[in-house]
Amino acid sequence: MKGLAVKTEGLTKDYGNGRGIFDLDLSVAEGEVFGFLGPNGAGKTTTIRLLMGLIHATRGGARIFGLDCDRDAVAVKRKVGYCPGELPQFGGWRGAEIVAYVAGLRGDVTDAAITALAERLDLDLGRKYREYSHGNKQKLGLVLAFMHQPALAILDEPTTGLDPLHQQEFYGVVRDVRARGATIFISSHVLSEVEHVCDRVGIVREGHLVTVSALDDLVGMRAFRVEIDFADDVPTDRLRSVEGLDQLEVTDHRATGLLRGTFEPLMAAIAGTRVIGFTSREPSLEEIFLSYYR
Amino acid sequence: MTLFRIALKQQTVGLVAMTAGGVLGGVLNALAFVQIAGTTPAERTAFAQQMTVLGAQLSYMLPTPVRIDTLGGYLEWRLFGSLPLVYGIWAAISASGSGRGDEERGLVEQWLAAGVGRARYLVARVAVFAAVAVVTTGVMLLATLLSASGEPLAAGEMLAMGVNLVATTLCCYGMALVVAQLVTTRRGAGGIAAGLIIALFLVNGAARSADIGPIRWLSPFYFFERSRPLTANGALDVVGIAALLGAALVLLAVGVVAFARRDLGGTGLPGIGRESRVTRSPSRDVLLRLPVLGPLRQQGVWIAAWLVGFVALSASLISITRTIVDSLTSSEVPFLRAYFERAGLSVYDSFVGVMWLSSATLLLSIYAILQVASWSADDAEGRLATILSAPVSHGRVIVERLATLLVAVALIAAASSVAVYVVAAGQGITLDGGRVVLAAALLLTIPFAFGSIGQFVSASRPRIAVLALSAVAVSSYFVQQFLPLFGWPDWVANLSLYNLYGMPMSGEIRWGGVAGLVGIGAVATALSVAALRRRDVGA
Repeated sequence: MKGLAVKTEGLTKDYGNGRGIFDLDLSVAEGEVFGFLGPNGAGKTTTIRLLMGLIHATRGGARIFGLDCDRDAVAVKRKVGYCPGELPQFGGWRGAEIVAYVAGLRGDVTDAAITALAERLDLDLGRKYREYSHGNKQKLGLVLAFMHQPALAILDEPTTGLDPLHQQEFYGVVRDVRARGATIFISSHVLSEVEHVCDRVGIVREGHLVTVSALDDLVGMRAFRVEIDFADDVPTDRLRSVEGLDQLEVTDHRATGLLRGTFEPLMAAIAGTRVIGFTSREPSLEEIFLSYYR
Repeated sequence: MTLFRIALKQQTVGLVAMTAGGVLGGVLNALAFVQIAGTTPAERTAFAQQMTVLGAQLSYMLPTPVRIDTLGGYLEWRLFGSLPLVYGIWAAISASGSGRGDEERGLVEQWLAAGVGRARYLVARVAVFAAVAVVTTGVMLLATLLSASGEPLAAGEMLAMGVNLVATTLCCYGMALVVAQLVTTRRGAGGIAAGLIIALFLVNGAARSADIGPIRWLSPFYFFERSRPLTANGALDVVGIAALLGAALVLLAVGVVAFARRDLGGTGLPGIGRESRVTRSPSRDVLLRLPVLGPLRQQGVWIAAWLVGFVALSASLISITRTIVDSLTSSEVPFLRAYFERAGLSVYDSFVGVMWLSSATLLLSIYAILQVASWSADDAEGRLATILSAPVSHGRVIVERLATLLVAVALIAAASSVAVYVVAAGQGITLDGGRVVLAAALLLTIPFAFGSIGQFVSASRPRIAVLALSAVAVSSYFVQQFLPLFGWPDWVANLSLYNLYGMPMSGEIRWGGVAGLVGIGAVATALSVAALRRRDVGA
């Protein structure tokens, strides 16, 4: 039976004025890829910095592989790889020097692992950090996070700045890391990012955890994006009264909305009208995500 | 107005530090004059004669004394002889921040994206610096004037001195701004500009005693010195002031135009920049992966520059020891002789020790302050978070930083001590080799104490670390400088970290003081670890 890679209990960092993260209870199993979703300012980075022991909880606590994130921070970091959301400034250091320096701090890194990652992400380590584009800085952050083959990788919005090709490569790295049994904790506000790789998703809003669901459960929620084209005027009043139909928009002879629950009330509402087009599709995670914030 | 308000906010540290330091220096020098020059005409005449002889020996550093039997003449020589250099280095630091620092942090990009013109941005920064320089100078001059206590010193003369000082400072700012357009890092721009300004100061010093031709015209300090308002009833040399203001305008214009034309992040010089070789491998430099040696390796050029500069300074100071001591010890002014005796300056080897070690303690504490500045920047710029993301304890971070500082200082002190020994021998002065080594080794206690205090402040309140540590350095310096004049009690003397170090080559070693420095360092280090552990990184 697998243990827990991450466990938080009542984890709270209160910055005042409702900012921070509050009473976070979260469990991530070993070997799992967990997506931590929320809009900017929701508390994702604060949570990650608490897990990394970079900031201290106002109350509650967090454990990684059973170790206290605050008290046992050094032991925790032997097992963890971290890619921050905001990359540090290394000025005139060359990429090769930065990875060598951090590898020296860790002490458990092989040059071959660094080279393999740099090749895979197409990162030139010969250039100075200040000459790197945002995407290249992000790649360097990923090399630093994965180069010691961590048991847990904590990645704060890791694909920011990566082009689509390298985003795909990143997903490949995550899958490979997971295949060797590592746990991944990814924060993001880009849902398509976690759709590719995550097993479960936690959604955080204004410092509070809204829900934790398996990705399949989240995607399979009974919600559909519907588009109906009418031959005549749209029966707007009848549509507004349909239970479970949100985000209704009417333009000319077309009505669109997000339908939760069954189709029966909607079908009853449009009965007797001339419908010339009707499409429904499963919502993207993006839309599910947005529905939590409306 | 927003642009000006932000520029003013960025000048706050400079405004506070330079005003406080200037006021302290002005007031103490004004008060010290009566102590050192005596009160009767006979004492002052004798004082002036001796200072004229001494001044000739120190002409590489200070202007030739004129009417030094008056407070105006004394201030012009003692205070305003070196103050333009201090203001010049401040200008270099500030201009490198305006010309490169904001760019490194991405602020310039934001401003330009917000529709602010390049010229407008830089002109605002220059205007605010000029205003801050005027305020700082004005407050310093006013405080000095109010401390004159009955000595004849006219407000008009001080005002003219202020104009001269501000013009020189703006000229230095212009030079540093041009340098900042040619170098891609703030640190590089600040270092080169400060080095250039020190070199031009020394050029003017050399011109006082040797004919070096028109090269002296390159130095703004030469034009500053053409005006002697405190001894010329407030008159300013029109050519000198016009040259300073004209050069300042031209340099500032060149800086603004170069900034407007170059690429952000670029050097402004075509073809500059080494092509890098594409590689996917980490650096093979083993030093980078070792504790302490890794950071040292990264600072290699910086440390080497300090080492060379400090060795050169030590050698030049020691090379004039014999002539200075001869002039000093023949003093017939009671106060002056007592001053030298209390300071232990009556023997060649003691004087070597005083000259070398007083400059060494001062410069090494400045080195420590610069290191503390970079530690604070590590926190603000995310590097500390990267380090702590590795299995590295807060304690290790603190100890490794201090170890890096001490190893670098040890290298600098060792090279300097060899230079001192060799140059002194060349002067026919035999030094006790063991005492030189011991004095150099004990020098480490100064950066240890400064570095540890700085670590503590940096770990607790990183934004004020440099300001707080600079205040410790300035107050320590003034206590040490004016202690022999005012005969302050021991507890006041012990407030100076430099005084705790003592003068190990001029008498008994103050083991109590050394233990005090080590104790301060040890306690501050322990507090630093606790503070860093308790504080949120990056907060």
